Amino acid sequence: MTDERERTALPRIARWGRRLAAMTWKEVLQLSRDLPLLLFLLYSFSVAVLVSGVGITMQLRNANLLVHDGDHSQSSRELIHRFQAPYFHFTGEISDARQGLRELDQGRAMLVLDIPPRFHEALVSGERTAVQLLVDTSNAPQGFSAAGYTVRIAGAFGSQLGLASIGLSGNAMQSLPVIESAHRVWFNPNQDETWFQSMSTVLRMITLFGVLLPAAALVREKERGTIEQLLVSPLSPFQIMFSKILAMAGIILIATGLAVYGVLRPVFHVPMKGPDGLFFALTALHIFTTAGLGLVAATIARNQAQVGMMTLFLVGPMMLLSGITSPFESMPQWVQTVMTFSPLKYYIDVTYGVMLKGAGLDVLWKPAGTMLLLGGTLFVLGMWRFRRQFE
Amino acid sequence: MNLRVIRAMALKEWKETTRDRPFLLLAFLLPVLWLTVFGYGLVLDVENIPFAVLDRDHSALSREYIYRFIQSRYFLFRGYAADERALDRLLTETKIRAAVVVPERFEEQLAAGEPVAVQTLFDGTFPLHTDIAKGYVIAINQAFTEERLIDYVRRRRGFTYEQASRLIRPLAVEVRYLYNEEVRSTWSMVPGLIMFTMMLASSLLTALGVVREKETGSIYNIYSSTVSRGEFLVGKLLPYIVISIINVCVLWLMAVTMFHVPFRGSFLFFFSASILFILCTTGIGLLISLLVQTQMAALIITMVVAMIPTILFSGLLVPVASLSQGAQVQAHLLPAMYYTNIVRGSFLKGVGADVLWIDLLALAAFAAGMSVLTYQLFSKRPTT
Repeated sequence: MTDERERTALPRIARWGRRLAAMTWKEVLQLSRDLPLLLFLLYSFSVAVLVSGVGITMQLRNANLLVHDGDHSQSSRELIHRFQAPYFHFTGEISDARQGLRELDQGRAMLVLDIPPRFHEALVSGERTAVQLLVDTSNAPQGFSAAGYTVRIAGAFGSQLGLASIGLSGNAMQSLPVIESAHRVWFNPNQDETWFQSMSTVLRMITLFGVLLPAAALVREKERGTIEQLLVSPLSPFQIMFSKILAMAGIILIATGLAVYGVLRPVFHVPMKGPDGLFFALTALHIFTTAGLGLVAATIARNQAQVGMMTLFLVGPMMLLSGITSPFESMPQWVQTVMTFSPLKYYIDVTYGVMLKGAGLDVLWKPAGTMLLLGGTLFVLGMWRFRRQFE
Repeated sequence: MNLRVIRAMALKEWKETTRDRPFLLLAFLLPVLWLTVFGYGLVLDVENIPFAVLDRDHSALSREYIYRFIQSRYFLFRGYAADERALDRLLTETKIRAAVVVPERFEEQLAAGEPVAVQTLFDGTFPLHTDIAKGYVIAINQAFTEERLIDYVRRRRGFTYEQASRLIRPLAVEVRYLYNEEVRSTWSMVPGLIMFTMMLASSLLTALGVVREKETGSIYNIYSSTVSRGEFLVGKLLPYIVISIINVCVLWLMAVTMFHVPFRGSFLFFFSASILFILCTTGIGLLISLLVQTQMAALIITMVVAMIPTILFSGLLVPVASLSQGAQVQAHLLPAMYYTNIVRGSFLKGVGADVLWIDLLALAAFAAGMSVLTYQLFSKRPTT
């Protein structure tokens, strides 16, 4: 009796696998016949990554600086000279303070520095003096950062002048009690922002496609009614759902490979310190998790329009709040709590950990485990809803 | 163009949309919820940077120095480390983002009037945050140095505190923050988020408009009817334009009442610019809808096209001036940048058409271009 069962078990598993494979292949074929979508997938993982890597620096760069120099002295010129590229871009001098306001209004300048008359005289005679800085803070972080630089530049300039006036000039700094800031930046020593930007675009794309592709594929079957055919076929709900994830994950993984070996490595020289296999394994896990999210949405939605709005609703906050767009540690506590449900949050740790830090599973087991747990839960939830709808 | 036909088309589309209750609900709910979540939750100021300290000096002065970091709101103290290997591990595990290493003889050297190099280690995975954190460290070091110098000059030259501090800090910077006087993140973010929300929501609303009919086959009713191309497209767009206009007004109200962002410009100007922008975004959705064959493709393409460049190239987070040449070109090709200028200008700067006419013109040109393009692309006699 047990013998019998053992003999039939193997073919049964094989049959189960063949059916899953057939369904998966059907999904791949269906997707591959959607030419605009395929072209766009290709574009998203190649050209879009390239453009974002080359194009964006979030660090303060080229802040347009206008100067109203009321003094035209050696000191004022020296101070202006200290506003250096790449942070500042000296756009010129203006003769009248009101013109500065106008240029700020029009967005042609971000900063206007106003140096008062008798600036040099005051500094030389040991009086206190002040320069005025107008900052456009309609983009608050950038404006704040630019003001910070200015205060530091002026502070250092003032101290040096003051010390020079009592005979402790620049060269004698060696014999002064000053703290020199020695920085060492780990994992990205040259502060190459192309690494960060290109990688984060890949992360965004993987997440977006990971949620949307399986969700849309499932809802499409519901909308067209072909799901009824699948349900009367010898396929279990698990096979129907899982085959979609498998197919989409495979396609996204290939696209990710294209982005990594076609753009990140050859163009931007992103180091990839950790093993490639680990990165792709964890990427597959991330796609599985996000796909779970999409499938849950798909069991709720009736048509593709609904699922589109739903995924947009989910993906938007994931994109902006998970930690690639804004600093995670500075977020309000409730955002950090809500975002523990965002798979992207863990995937960010994983990707930067493997690629830049060379971390292995011994360090990354926690985010990886959480992703697995999250993905498993979502998948089970999706399955449960799916069964309840159709059985 | 027959107005009655357009009305009939629009009415049909309107009914189709409003009878899909979940969709309708989301169409109105999504912008509101997004603005609430992002408005309160999206913080761009880099604060609470977790850091650890390796104090090799263990002196009163080194503790005072370290205390500067601990009490700063920019840093979040995560404890002392025993040696550099421990720091290494903490950084790799992302438990900390920065570390301060105070060298031996810190107090001794400073007291003797010698310079001391204090090393700070940073996690460089997020270059922007590293850059800002570096700035904070330099500022703290500079302030501490100035105090040491004042102390030093007093002792060596016998100056009074007043004299010494005037000598070391002769130059002050009076910073005036314009448009956003208290440098509140929400003030600059919320207007930007209105743009972000409208860009995504209204283009996605329209994205399925035509392709849905293509996929279900109901488009053949249109092909065989007397409805002209223009009438069809205008009728398709109208309901979504109406929904989007309502949304923009709701978002404006939320910004003013919930987030207390000052609105200093003219509402009429803002409103008309918003309508132009809505014509652009719904136009993008319609264009994609015409170009693809499946709803799935329409959804994904619209989402990527609307989301990624809008996050990166619209001026929402990064000023367009600090983008590279190629990215600036891309920024100028899309309507999001112009509308960001208009929204921020209307809310915070209080400028109107006299300053923002270029942006307004660009939006109008984009909207016109979209209409021409969609009109040309839509054919009642499809080749396939």
